[in-house]
Amino acid sequence: MTATEHPPTYKYIGTRPIRHDGLEKVTGKARFAADLDMTGQLRGAMIRSPYAHARIVSIDTSDAEAMPGVKAVVTGADFPAIDINEQIHDEAINIIARDEVLYNGHVVAAVAATTAAEARAAAAAVKVQYEDLPTILSIDDAIAEGAPIANPTNRTLFTGDTEPSNLASVGQFDRGDVEAGFAEADVVVEREFRTKPVHQGYIEPHACVADCGQDGKATIWASSQGHFMVRARTAAVLGWGTERIKVIPAEIGGGFGGKTTIYLEPIAVRLSQKASRPVKIVMTREEVLRATGPAPGAKMWAKIGATKDGELTTLEADLYYSNGSFKGYAALTGAMSIASYKFPNLMLKATGTIDNMPKSAAYRAPSAPQAAFAIETLVDEIADELGMDPIELRLKNAVTEGDPTAMGAPHPKIGFVETLEAIKNSDHYRSPVPEGAGRGVATGFWFNIGEQSSATVNLNEDGTATVITGSPDIGGSRASMALMAAEELGLDVHHITPIVADTGSVGFTDITEGSRATFATGMAVVNACRNLKKQLVQRAATMRGIDVDQVAWVGGAAVIEGVPSEGQDPVSLAEITAAAKMTGGPLTATASLNAAGAGPSFAVHLADVKVDEETGQVTILRYTAAQDAGTAIHPSYVEGQMQGGSVQGIGWALNEEYVFDEHGEMQNAGFLDYRMPVASDLPMIDTIIVEVPNPSHPYGVRGVGETGIVPPIPTLANAIADATGVRMTTLPMSPPNLLKALNER
Amino acid sequence: MATVHLQADHSRFTDGVRELEVDGATVGAIIDELEQRFPGLGPLLTEGASVALDGELLPRGSIYESVGPDAEVHFLAPIAGG
Repeated sequence: MTATEHPPTYKYIGTRPIRHDGLEKVTGKARFAADLDMTGQLRGAMIRSPYAHARIVSIDTSDAEAMPGVKAVVTGADFPAIDINEQIHDEAINIIARDEVLYNGHVVAAVAATTAAEARAAAAAVKVQYEDLPTILSIDDAIAEGAPIANPTNRTLFTGDTEPSNLASVGQFDRGDVEAGFAEADVVVEREFRTKPVHQGYIEPHACVADCGQDGKATIWASSQGHFMVRARTAAVLGWGTERIKVIPAEIGGGFGGKTTIYLEPIAVRLSQKASRPVKIVMTREEVLRATGPAPGAKMWAKIGATKDGELTTLEADLYYSNGSFKGYAALTGAMSIASYKFPNLMLKATGTIDNMPKSAAYRAPSAPQAAFAIETLVDEIADELGMDPIELRLKNAVTEGDPTAMGAPHPKIGFVETLEAIKNSDHYRSPVPEGAGRGVATGFWFNIGEQSSATVNLNEDGTATVITGSPDIGGSRASMALMAAEELGLDVHHITPIVADTGSVGFTDITEGSRATFATGMAVVNACRNLKKQLVQRAATMRGIDVDQVAWVGGAAVIEGVPSEGQDPVSLAEITAAAKMTGGPLTATASLNAAGAGPSFAVHLADVKVDEETGQVTILRYTAAQDAGTAIHPSYVEGQMQGGSVQGIGWALNEEYVFDEHGEMQNAGFLDYRMPVASDLPMIDTIIVEVPNPSHPYGVRGVGETGIVPPIPTLANAIADATGVRMTTLPMSPPNLLKALNER
Repeated sequence: MATVHLQADHSRFTDGVRELEVDGATVGAIIDELEQRFPGLGPLLTEGASVALDGELLPRGSIYESVGPDAEVHFLAPIAGG
């Protein structure tokens, strides 16, 4: 369902063609990195630390090197020393430890052998001697007075501090007068909230193949959200120039932010270099969960004041986010994501902490779901206390264009009010709450980003086209690129072949992150097509022997204007490409940009739940998600993003959590014990696409990939509160946790 | 002159000043001018901040972006995505 501000007049945009890579995906023919096999290929295996924090005393690889089939072994000593001030430092040390291991699962060495079984056996034969060090496993431990240092190379970001610290980053955002704001409030609510680290849960484990040649150059086939990123960071870790590395993007089986970093590639290249053979490394699921980036856990206190007529006067919050073993600015982002309401008085303190858990990584609207859990719960509680409809309260306080974000910068054109109204007017909201159930609503915001993209569009000699970009397709972006090119050129979308090209075959393109691909790379495609249209009308003018000013590109053909009609029929694209060698040669255009003006996106979710008060089990009866997409280029994939984000947020809310023992060893490193939702756990996620076009994109696109994960946690928390009267403030709201809260009622 | 808005964390370099008028034709020139006036602030704004110009979030590294005489420049904490 689409709620549209301006009815579209497009021919292709807004249609739902079958995605160009769909057949290969559903028939199993698509080639993921783990599917690739090279002649003479070796298999790699990692040796990982069983300690959460320890000094590496010695590594003895001699027995492993003597084992059958073993062709190469590497340790941290095989990689260049990196100063702590270098940008690549943390990622390099995370890939392979040097002096200390910083979490359970940290790589200390790797082997390459003829078979995977031989590699695993050799890995088990590497002898590592450790000296156990004090371990930090929680935010509370990290900030405790006199706490041991979790990572001696950490310096608090942006402070200029030179001493090791357990603080990753600190920040504050404020405006107005918080004390005065609370003084004028008639209702004040405050609570403390806690969330655990959760994983992105992509189906495809990290995998790569690296082949280092005699010329010292390497080719890498990798699963990532950005192969130019893989090239740059692998080169930096190895101390190479980027000209020595070509990265070929394999298909990607989910990333959600977790593949915006690298773990394997420098090790695979170094093993390949030592063995003079290609090396493939594929993580197990256990390795993925133990050693790749979870979203941060958080500890948050928040307090909101409102007048009796529902005007939110004040927000004060103190947010702590765990970054895992390496620094980041998760807490700052969490604070900045609180952007939905016009609080005139605001004070947000944000602190990121360092501990001995895996390095956290981005996860769909990074840090926003945790903060939304706190803020949207309290906003709902205010509505409860005032007896106001929760959507009316939000509409009364919703930001619109020009209102300040937490950081003070004004919102550009946004569709928050329209999205709230879409839910308010939905069949779901107008339907009565089922007997015995509870209903919850919550909102979410995400910035979205632009950044650098490149595209090349080639017109083929038969009038078809190839669209070449450098953005890995993680959510249907091939189809979106083809649709925008089809709209520009007036060419049937099925006559356009979208390709994701390797680092040697297309211009630099930033990571597919921040919901930027359809926005920024799409804009590069549009610009390349507009360049091509100029060429097409010039070629048509040459063919007709008239001035180019008399030709316009209309509906996929060069239309001759201002001349007698006889003999001046439109010149089709196919006619022009067929004649290209007589009018100047092949028709091709390239565009690149660094895109500004990524329009923020808002989402509003609505859920009905039933709670089994004997078991604490939550059953979702009905779920509706509305989101502002700007313009939905391919509505099916916009809906898919909304549904995917909703389901991941539902898992985060109800079941998912990292469980560590007191030594920092993850106790649920597999999908049997790390419980993600499956289809049978869920109702159909109904979607309402709201379209408030982003004026900074030629077709009005806003990113849609991330915002959908922000509202589900508070939506379900609010629904549970409506059903049971219990406000959950700790995640997950799993049967044991919910049952405990119900019993303490 | 552009109106520059700083975050609370930046104001340790500016003796608490959060909003000020700065002369500069580009984002980079404004950062240079701020560094001249408040030594140590420049690197923080270059490496540790996203920039919104008249409410529009600029891509990272946009130091050559033109800034109009009546522009509003907000230096924000870094923004990325997942």
